[in-house]
Amino acid sequence: MGTLELDRLTKVFQDGEEGEIVAVDNVDIQMDDGEFIVVVGPSGCGKSTTLRMVAGLETVTSGNIRLDGRVVNDEKPQNRDIAMVFQSYALYPHMTVAENMAFGLEESTTLPDDEIEERVHDAAETMGIAELLDRKPSELSGGQQQRVALGRAIVRDPEVFLMDEPLSNLDAKLRSQMRTELQRLQAELDVTTMYVTHDQTEAMTMGDRIAILNDGKLQQVATPLECYHEPANQFVAGFIGDPSMNFFDMERDGDTLVGSRFEYPLSQSTLDDVGETRNVTLGVRPEDVEVGTDESGSHTYSAVVEVVEPMGDENTVYLRFESAPEGETFIATIDGLQQAAVGDRVTVSIPEETIHLFDGRSGEAVHNRRLDMNDEISSPPT
Amino acid sequence: MSDETRTDGGAVSAAGSDQPAGLLAEIDAYRVALYLGLLAILAFFLIPIESGLVTSFKTSTGVSGTLPFAPPTPEVFTLAKWQTAFDALARGLVNSALYAVPATVISALLGSFAAYGITQSNWKPKYKAPILALFVAGIFIPYQAVLVPLSQFWSMVPLQEALGFVWALGISSDYTGVVELIVTHVAYGLPICTVLFRSYYKNMSEEMIEAARLDGASIRRVYRRIVLPLSGPMFAVVLIYQFTQIWNDLLFTLVLVQTESSTAAPIVLILAGLGQSLEGQDFALRMAGAFIAALPTLAVYIMFGEEFAEGVAT
Repeated sequence: MGTLELDRLTKVFQDGEEGEIVAVDNVDIQMDDGEFIVVVGPSGCGKSTTLRMVAGLETVTSGNIRLDGRVVNDEKPQNRDIAMVFQSYALYPHMTVAENMAFGLEESTTLPDDEIEERVHDAAETMGIAELLDRKPSELSGGQQQRVALGRAIVRDPEVFLMDEPLSNLDAKLRSQMRTELQRLQAELDVTTMYVTHDQTEAMTMGDRIAILNDGKLQQVATPLECYHEPANQFVAGFIGDPSMNFFDMERDGDTLVGSRFEYPLSQSTLDDVGETRNVTLGVRPEDVEVGTDESGSHTYSAVVEVVEPMGDENTVYLRFESAPEGETFIATIDGLQQAAVGDRVTVSIPEETIHLFDGRSGEAVHNRRLDMNDEISSPPT
Repeated sequence: MSDETRTDGGAVSAAGSDQPAGLLAEIDAYRVALYLGLLAILAFFLIPIESGLVTSFKTSTGVSGTLPFAPPTPEVFTLAKWQTAFDALARGLVNSALYAVPATVISALLGSFAAYGITQSNWKPKYKAPILALFVAGIFIPYQAVLVPLSQFWSMVPLQEALGFVWALGISSDYTGVVELIVTHVAYGLPICTVLFRSYYKNMSEEMIEAARLDGASIRRVYRRIVLPLSGPMFAVVLIYQFTQIWNDLLFTLVLVQTESSTAAPIVLILAGLGQSLEGQDFALRMAGAFIAALPTLAVYIMFGEEFAEGVAT
């Protein structure tokens, strides 16, 4: 039970004179029972439209949505056995919390009243809102309303949960708290969940797998760490991770990459990956840029510190190659205790095992960083 | 009141810093002029009502012997005019209520249904737009333009025969006119009710309606359990507006009921002839009658006042 499959799902909006807008383009995602999938992408990428098609709130232009192997394209929302949590919570303002939670059971089942009341009570206990059952939504804080909205979804015990940016109306502290709680809840209930967000932190921390959308097209579906370390293309590499990956446009000249500010020689194994591609984009994550190393190797350059943003545990440093004009910076994160001041000249090294290379035209990844799983888990790069 | 003091306080503190006396004097002069102006406007609007009210308590000699807006002196004070007016209008009050209340409720309900249909249902916009256009056009049809077609229409519909079983119960067949008035006012009020409800439903949270549909409610159940209970403020607006329109309407009653001698004569028809005779007009009686006729609309305002304010604000 509870498998959800999107098969070449496409949504085209007719837009008066302008013609057609393809909001979702041939999206394929398979969700296992009990899996938590986060659909992430910039605004307007079609992630909400995808979710609304699964809910039955938008019609499907082509492709199929299969719930437990059954095609549900033309099923009405009320017959899909799906519960959705909305960004605005969408509570019924004239009903108490208990009535809000009971509404779905009253409408979709023929359960007797006492059974409904019991289920509402259990769900309220799970969400920690048992003492709020007699209040109206307007008497609740944002966080409490959020809990009621979740409670209203879990009380139905549906096949699939859909969540449309449920945490984005909460303040930062509450958001990270609810994030953990949602994960715990999802694991406990073991219900297939499709979670839409534009926030890559939520995507990284919550999902079993992440589906990244851009311009209606699916970019990559993979575990958070795969997306982070082995991005399928430049878009994924830039979208996942904060601060985002540094990119440099380079041209290949023999076994060296030549950019406008620096040259980067490649080893033979990396060259094999690049193959015949001439224009490549070199990507390196800020935490992989080493600042202040003394050794002068082939991947070491000198740079000037332009801006320092102290975060406490680490410093985000905006660096500029000496030949570059002001404002043309790249980012490095260094240890919080490491000193860096604006105007300092520093040596910067970009180790070859950490670089990603993308095809300069298509953006496809041609080479990803080398991964040593042990290293990755026990000691993060410094 | 609190607003006024706050503004004054602000002006004083601002004036205290630079040009103390001048600015203060200027603002005071302006405020004095403003309030005097407002008072004048208030008097302009209230004097006719006040004159009507005091006149209704005067005897006929009192009306001719005192100024219209002067309160009645003990010698000319009487409640007899109110008594006479009430006796004459009592059956009209009942008759008017017989069509005004059902017509108001039915047009408000139908308007709410129609507005729900053209906002929240998932028809394509290209089907909704022409229907909405028809409703909007309906608002602008003038009463005068439909008078002849209206009387033609009702002369063709054998309503009196169809309701034969009602008259068999001993009710005067004059009440056919009341039924005609209900249908006519519902039809005529429906467009404005629909458009008012539509603007209200447009602003209703779409996500909430979607949540209800995902919760398993059919489109009818969503109306019944979510939209209708949340329509209170707009119902207040529409009920007040429609009731006042229908209660005060003279044109349709003239066409459909015609005479004040009819058993089913609405209050507006009786009021038109009240206090008029060959000897001249009995102003006190006419004023008392006017106030009695206006009381129900006033009562409706007071009953739904709070929701009305909320509904207008949205």
